[in-house]
Amino acid sequence: MKRSLPFEVFRYAAIFLALAVTLVPTLWMVSMAFKPIAEWSATGADLTWWPKAPTLDNFRFILGTSTSDLIVALDRTAGKPILASLLSAVFGTLIAMTAGTAGAYGLSRFGSGQNLPLALIQLRLFPPMAVMIPVMIMWAFFGLVDTWWGLALIYGIVTLPFAFWLMKTFFDDMPREIEDAALVEGCSRMRVFLKITLPMMRPALASSALFVFILNWSDYLIALLLTTREWVTIPVYMASLSSSMTGQLYGAKAALGLIAAVPPVIMGIAIQKHLVRGLTFGALKQ
Amino acid sequence: MSSFAIEEKHSVPGDLTTPETRTEDGGRRLGFMLTLPAQLLVLFIAVFPLLMQLYISLTDWSPLEGTGWWQAYELWNGFANYTDLAVDSRFWDALGRTALVMLICVPVEFLLGLGLAILFMDNFVGKRVFYSIMLIPMMVVPAVAGYMFFMLFQSGGPVNDIISTLIGRPFVLAWLSSPGTALVAVMIADIWQWTPLMFLILLAGLVGVPEDQMRAATLLGASWWQRFYTIALPKMKTIMIIALSIRIIENFKIFDTLFIMTGGGPGVATETISVYIYKVTQQDLIWGYVAAIALVILVVLSIVVSLAISRMNAAKEA
Repeated sequence: MKRSLPFEVFRYAAIFLALAVTLVPTLWMVSMAFKPIAEWSATGADLTWWPKAPTLDNFRFILGTSTSDLIVALDRTAGKPILASLLSAVFGTLIAMTAGTAGAYGLSRFGSGQNLPLALIQLRLFPPMAVMIPVMIMWAFFGLVDTWWGLALIYGIVTLPFAFWLMKTFFDDMPREIEDAALVEGCSRMRVFLKITLPMMRPALASSALFVFILNWSDYLIALLLTTREWVTIPVYMASLSSSMTGQLYGAKAALGLIAAVPPVIMGIAIQKHLVRGLTFGALKQ
Repeated sequence: MSSFAIEEKHSVPGDLTTPETRTEDGGRRLGFMLTLPAQLLVLFIAVFPLLMQLYISLTDWSPLEGTGWWQAYELWNGFANYTDLAVDSRFWDALGRTALVMLICVPVEFLLGLGLAILFMDNFVGKRVFYSIMLIPMMVVPAVAGYMFFMLFQSGGPVNDIISTLIGRPFVLAWLSSPGTALVAVMIADIWQWTPLMFLILLAGLVGVPEDQMRAATLLGASWWQRFYTIALPKMKTIMIIALSIRIIENFKIFDTLFIMTGGGPGVATETISVYIYKVTQQDLIWGYVAAIALVILVVLSIVVSLAISRMNAAKEA
């Protein structure tokens, strides 16, 4: 459709404004992550958008390889929290994807578990804060508090609705002819699922897994309630970095925030084709 | 969210029919086995915990008691938690604040997202790159986004710096520690992060509007607004409802960004319902009371949602 020149001018102006608003907060954190301590809280005329003397000290500081020029020594580095975030998110994704894929296939092909779609949507509906009391009691009972496997289990349950719904729409879209042909050849149903359907669904599985991983990686509230010290995740650790003793460790926290923010942004852009499907429980496809 | 109908597409939430169901015995057994893990996880997280929550909500139990939760009956107080809740002004204030945030954020996100989606409807140079950049905020970990805005809104931070430049004189405002502006800052962060979601969903809907119909209308002399209003908008109705529902549900849970930015303060100025429950859970440790609050929220939400679903189904059949 051909549009008039004034419209094009307006469009680019509006889009550039939106891009600026989108990018400024992100860039401020990126810039802060590379600022030396002297520039952390510069104000007024001293406030600069780019570091005058860029440095990697902030990253060295939180990863514990150097404490030079910084006011305090950390009692613990970001290494373990990064590990905690990774382990809990990866294994949480594994739980959600395993149960979700199997369940979605069972429903899509054999009509089993008719209650699941709605039950899982309801699970997603409720604020986590409103169901955490029993979870905290149960997790304490099973000794799962402050462990990465305890977090992985709850993450797997919380993101199961997304894994299930995404895989259900992918299975529903898949043509049955190939499966039918294999059945005629004498393959058992389980074999068809494992040897033919799953390999064919590899791209769908990958997109769904990345989507679920982003959700798990992004959690703050659940980790805040279920971890205390040993296995706190990146966001919980980050929030604990400032105290009345040390004040705000702007640069160090920005460096950690950057480390936390980069993986999901890259993954999200990689799977942007399927984002709409994931976010709307498969109701919409691009 | 059940039974949204989208033209020529199946597998909609709540649409339980599958195109072809084979029900001979072998298939049924395998189907049962395959759905078992998901069923067990749902049971594990839904049924037993809800019963436990109901039981605890009728007592004064707290983890500080030193007794197991199953012994909570020793602290039985009947419905006292529920009657306390009815007159708990901090709870009602938090609920009101949550509603206020929702009533401002969701419409703003919707309108901005729709406007942007309209601009992205047809092709132009740079569209793909701009589109990817536009999606970044919703991918950023919410707690990290909260920290970004925490830095931006410092009294010596860049927001005040930009305003100073614009008005030509020093502007200093401690956004996050003044009761009047803390909530505004929190809402700006929410809008920044979630407008892209509206944009993404609405654009997917706009792109789905049949192009030949739009072109035919153009040939017949319809103005842009007429085309949008009479062709695109009706086709977008379901998608708009989906986008709004998702944001309303998620916005009601608002916690991460807000808690990092203000911790619910100053005072209780930004205390939403999730923050309030969090504080009673972690600081006051009155878990019996928390269980009661949580159950009331769950019941009210369930009623609202089932009403919405039945209304929508009725509208669809009419």
